[in-house]
Amino acid sequence: MKIVVLAKQVPEADKVAVDPETGTLIREGVAAILNPYCEYALDEAVKLKNSHPELEIEVIAISMGPPFAVTALMRCLELGADEAYLLSDRKFAGSDVWATSTALKEGVAKLVPDFDLILTGKQAIDGDTAQVPAETAEQLGVPQITYGVETEIENKRIKVKRETDYGYQVLSARLPTLVTMSKGSNIRRIPSMQDVLDARKKKLEVKSADDLGIDESKVGLSASPTQVDRIFAPPEKAGGALVPEGTDPKVAARKLYDFLKENNYL
Amino acid sequence: MPENVIVADKIKISAFETIRSINGDKVIAESYPGYLVDESKISGGHAQWLCFPTNEQEIVSVINKMKEENQAITISAARTGIVGSAVPLLGGAVVSLERMDDFIGLGYDEEESKWFARVQPNITLNVINEIVKLKKIEESQSIPLEKNWIEKFNEEPIMFYPIDPTEMTASIGGCIAANASGARTFKYGATRDWVRRLRVIISTGEVLEIPRGKYKAKDGVFIIKTAEQEFEIKVPTYQLPKAKNAAGLYTTPEMDLIDLFIGSEGIFGFITEADVWLKDYIPHISNVAFFTNEVDAIKFVNLLRSSSKFKPEFMEYFDNNALTLLRDTQKVDPKFVDMPNIPEEAKTAISFDLGYKEDTLEETFKEIGLMLEKCNSSLKDTWSAYEERELDRFKHFRHAVPEIVNNIIAERKKKYPSIHKLGTDMSVEDEYIGEMMEFYHKILNEVGLEYVIWGHIGDNHVHVNILPKNMEDLELGKQLYKKFAQKAVSFGGSVSAEHGIGKIKHEYLEIMFGNEAINEMRQVKSTLDPNFLFNPGNIFSKEVTQ
Ligand SMILES: Cc1cc2nc3c(=O)[nH]c(=O)nc-3n(C[C@H](O)[C@H](O)[C@H](O)COP(=O)(O)OP(=O)(O)OC[C@H]3O[C@@H](n4cnc5c(N)ncnc54)[C@H](O)[C@@H]3O)c2cc1C
Repeated sequence: MKIVVLAKQVPEADKVAVDPETGTLIREGVAAILNPYCEYALDEAVKLKNSHPELEIEVIAISMGPPFAVTALMRCLELGADEAYLLSDRKFAGSDVWATSTALKEGVAKLVPDFDLILTGKQAIDGDTAQVPAETAEQLGVPQITYGVETEIENKRIKVKRETDYGYQVLSARLPTLVTMSKGSNIRRIPSMQDVLDARKKKLEVKSADDLGIDESKVGLSASPTQVDRIFAPPEKAGGALVPEGTDPKVAARKLYDFLKENNYL
Repeated sequence: MPENVIVADKIKISAFETIRSINGDKVIAESYPGYLVDESKISGGHAQWLCFPTNEQEIVSVINKMKEENQAITISAARTGIVGSAVPLLGGAVVSLERMDDFIGLGYDEEESKWFARVQPNITLNVINEIVKLKKIEESQSIPLEKNWIEKFNEEPIMFYPIDPTEMTASIGGCIAANASGARTFKYGATRDWVRRLRVIISTGEVLEIPRGKYKAKDGVFIIKTAEQEFEIKVPTYQLPKAKNAAGLYTTPEMDLIDLFIGSEGIFGFITEADVWLKDYIPHISNVAFFTNEVDAIKFVNLLRSSSKFKPEFMEYFDNNALTLLRDTQKVDPKFVDMPNIPEEAKTAISFDLGYKEDTLEETFKEIGLMLEKCNSSLKDTWSAYEERELDRFKHFRHAVPEIVNNIIAERKKKYPSIHKLGTDMSVEDEYIGEMMEFYHKILNEVGLEYVIWGHIGDNHVHVNILPKNMEDLELGKQLYKKFAQKAVSFGGSVSAEHGIGKIKHEYLEIMFGNEAINEMRQVKSTLDPNFLFNPGNIFSKEVTQ
């Protein structure tokens, strides 16, 4: 069985600021990391691999990005991926979510045509659009389940516990399917020195548009229908309503009841 | 002029009234209590004056005013020191340098082929590194201006100031005064090795401009010429330990004058400007290896130390009690120790960083693998990562033990308000580290005190933290502290390898050097600052020890 993990390299988010004048991200001196949600996806793939030896699962990490994004893939290999591919080409430069998903779709179709499952992060913490996984699934013509927190493989199907605003939902789909992961275990894993050493011996290849036979007109800036107008930090969420301390318990209970009722929680 | 003679420069004076100052011990105690304490948390600090000069002229005018008023001066920086050296126990004036925290500029020393930063004393290590790493330096900050160094600097790889005394909000002036060091001292040395030039205002209110390499002791003497006096300074004759040391005044027979001021805990005056060397920054890879016993762990340290092919950035040690503390904390608060579970069978851990270079990684790891096997551990049992946020995680892990200890003590203080942690800071020579560790465990287990041991094993410098449960424990701990000091000294070590003596470790300095040596130190002080104007009570008292 083959699981593809789509992974992105991102700037370490809590150190990125938005330049208030130009509205662009200040990435100066900010280190690049493997997108945390992609790391959850990879962890989930490795978990499935370890819990299903009978399926002989292979985990293949694929990323599109500049040449230095190999470091994010190297981390995937250290954390247990079996092989990795970086789709990197000047022709991809300026790709929006659509052009990116086109490249990823072509990459997956050429490099792992017999994939059974695609796992990916729910979104990348730099752009935060959450569009690429959905568009890639569409272009590949496979079902998608988003915001997963737990997965299980059963009889050629994948069962996914997913987050919603109101609790959890469990969905199941026929493989192949694309699943995006929104959360991993509480404490992230750390590779061992042996893992770091072993990763250097695994296959990690860089593929160009030509290698993959991707038509230049379908990727890059010119194939990108969306344009970024402006980037700004979303307004901070205001804290919730508070019943002041010292309120008479009866009054407080009434206030709480009203609030829950008004918002359809009751 | 002979090499051992330096002439002090006069400085213009500004009017004292224009300097922001607070007068009155009550108002200072009530409204500015933060200036009366440091991270030693010792109590008893009090002051009649609190002043905030912004430049050298204002410092001189504060000095003159305090001489008139007969008030001693305690020089105050970021107050992260942990031996009370910035606490005004004897009253007088606290002179805070917080308004002198500029990054002045950057230059290239063509003789040494090294970059340096020129800074005011109160800039923090964090800020220096931020400016230097991100190259936030303007063309007008080139030293000298006509050399246009900034353009060249911008083409250099990432640079940094390598001394990391854990507390990066410490000021560079405080670090120079304390000769601060830290884990990375194993590779980079202490602050002393990174100071290129100092400006120091002495008790006459004049300034000494001291580049490294220019003024050297001759026949055991320095001459400092000021407008009205000539000071003849006798270089102390005691021997410093070979092991890492921050106790007492620095001395060697042909010492550089600059070294007299570095590590002097501010007793000779104000450091008002410094040049510090910068170094190119190599990315790191952080690792934690686990061992089933301490003997194996120390064997590993010695093997790692002896490699001719690579040198770790540092080696940090955690004993069994420290690991137990971490495990227990993980169970109740997994995020506090944001790491995978510490293996149950691990009794000792060594955390070590290596320079991360892809082309040598395999060879280095294989060599370390062989070392680990010799110590009954393996590459498989060793955590390893190098992504920036992973490095932060490892760093938190290294700092978690003292934090947990502090939390436990804070809890116990509720019942016994005057209880405090007893933390040692002693080093020994390489060959004695095994014996010293055995000694610590044996004595502490004999009396049944609660303790953890962690710290800079690369420099044979670990911190024993005793956690007293009551006042009897505290007393018992203090007695052991003395025994440890005697033992460390007998192993060629220091009673204070990095924190200094300050106001709380005088008796250990005596154990280490003896009264005669301390009187030699006092002689230097009395010559240069006869009235004990600056930082009285630091390192030794004014009164002669018999
Ligand atoms: C959590 C923690 C961990 C620490 N770990 C380490 C460690 O690993 N290694 C280590 O060495 N230290 C350590 N320290 C201690 C402390 O950070 C250092 O001693 C530091 O050098 C103090 O700098 P500061 O600016 O806070 O100085 P302060 O505490 O304000 O002053 C320290 C001394 O320097 C003098 N001084 C300050 N500025 C000047 C100046 N411009 N001219 C003349 N004298 C001056 C003061 O009078 C005082 O005597 C630690 C502290 C904390 C809180």
